[in-house]
Amino acid sequence: MTLLQSLKNFVRSKSIHVAYVDVGSCNGCDVEVLACLAPRYDIEQYGIFVHNNPREADVLLVIGAYTPGWEGKLEGLWDKIPDPKVAVAIGNCPISGCLFNRPHTLIDPPVSKHIPIAAQVPGCPPRPTEILSAILSVAPLVYRDYEVRKK
Amino acid sequence: MKRTVDVSIPVGPVHPCWKEPTRVKCETRGEFVLSAEVELGYMKKGIERIMRGRPWQEVMFLAERVCGICSVIHNMVFIEALEKMSSIEVPERAALLRVIVNELDRMQSHILANFSYCYTIEHETLGMYLLDSREKVLDELERITGARITCAYMVPGGVRFNLRDEDALHLRASMDTLEKEITRYMGMFEHGPLIALRSREIGILTRDAAREACACGPTARASGLPESDRRLKHPTYQKLGFTPVSREEGDNFARIMVRFQEMLQSISLILRCLDTLPVGPIRGGGIPGAGEIAYSGEAPRGELSYFIKTDAAGRVLEIAIQTPSIMNIEACCHYMLTGVASMADVPSTFVSADPCIACTER
Repeated sequence: MTLLQSLKNFVRSKSIHVAYVDVGSCNGCDVEVLACLAPRYDIEQYGIFVHNNPREADVLLVIGAYTPGWEGKLEGLWDKIPDPKVAVAIGNCPISGCLFNRPHTLIDPPVSKHIPIAAQVPGCPPRPTEILSAILSVAPLVYRDYEVRKK
Repeated sequence: MKRTVDVSIPVGPVHPCWKEPTRVKCETRGEFVLSAEVELGYMKKGIERIMRGRPWQEVMFLAERVCGICSVIHNMVFIEALEKMSSIEVPERAALLRVIVNELDRMQSHILANFSYCYTIEHETLGMYLLDSREKVLDELERITGARITCAYMVPGGVRFNLRDEDALHLRASMDTLEKEITRYMGMFEHGPLIALRSREIGILTRDAAREACACGPTARASGLPESDRRLKHPTYQKLGFTPVSREEGDNFARIMVRFQEMLQSISLILRCLDTLPVGPIRGGGIPGAGEIAYSGEAPRGELSYFIKTDAAGRVLEIAIQTPSIMNIEACCHYMLTGVASMADVPSTFVSADPCIACTER
């Protein structure tokens, strides 16, 4: 690895854009992601910028069990995110469907059937600190040696 | 009548200002919004279908997860409906503890709604102040119930945990701090000239229109309909001498101010509960039996109704939930958004009605 590449790895891990998409949760995990913005957790001190624009995002937080309304749309959204990108599943819903995964339900979990998931944060809902540490642990991996891998 | 429509602009489903996916389709002429239509269906999980045929012990947790922001009121209405159906008595201490937890939940929901609005009109500073206060409310909620979001605090015949004396002291101290903070933020919002430019006289819902659209909650109370508050019919709130707040303007500014005033009112209700909290049991016991009931309560967003039919074993045979957001979303699309002068005000007007898509679609 060249010096330039290691410099790039370091700098890029300090500038991560996050988008979140709710594919059918109870809203509990959404508010915990929003709570990460609060001055107590202060997600921006780690160089993470939360906004909801998939076209600029590096990390996509997927919240909720996959509902029929999102069929084809979540995959389309995933394609719109420029490379390199990772998806993190927040909460039990995208992992197993949580308590919505019962007979007669409309959901279709897990989300990893539809888009590749890099990390999972279980919990109903997970605490903001857990969400924060998950994003921080995948952040250096998003861009690592991106130019080398692309070749 | 022939209408000239320039372009139909969809907003959403993924939008920087919205917490949940929904799509608002606006027909515009230039910047002027002629009409708007909302497209739902991104969050339909079929919770009522899952609930049917299950024992109430399971349905209790499912009911809580209809909406994550206002989970306490879903728990409260479901449990109180079961209690009323099977005539289970609640000890007085438990009834007051329920009001404390419910008002804490209302406060955090209102703070979140006002944060979203401030964030949408790009006043991020006030938004961050509000989020900081919300953490204090959630701390108190966690100290009493053991969880931040989905607490499952209420059970038939009482509540699960007692309020310890040191927690009561801490709660009282936090309420004093929050009262000072929220009064300050309310002043900032009320007197901010730039906030007024983005909020006053925008998205007007008149009193007649609110009544026609069956608007409820803070949206109706901002249009001068204080009698829409279901807390007036709740026995514990009646004992506490509850009077709803209301404003007459009916614009975005009034809706946010009503929420600020309700937060202060919640603080005074909690302090009144703490003053009159008797020593005694917190669980009276009792088992829900067969029956059928329709029951409603006041969620942070308006009137929440449950229709429940159970059999002798306590299984839920039939359940129907009506959540407040659907009325407010319709009122928002048909009355507030029609005639909004600029496309830029569409997200803020939509957010000011505090739509909760998760509980609308369930």
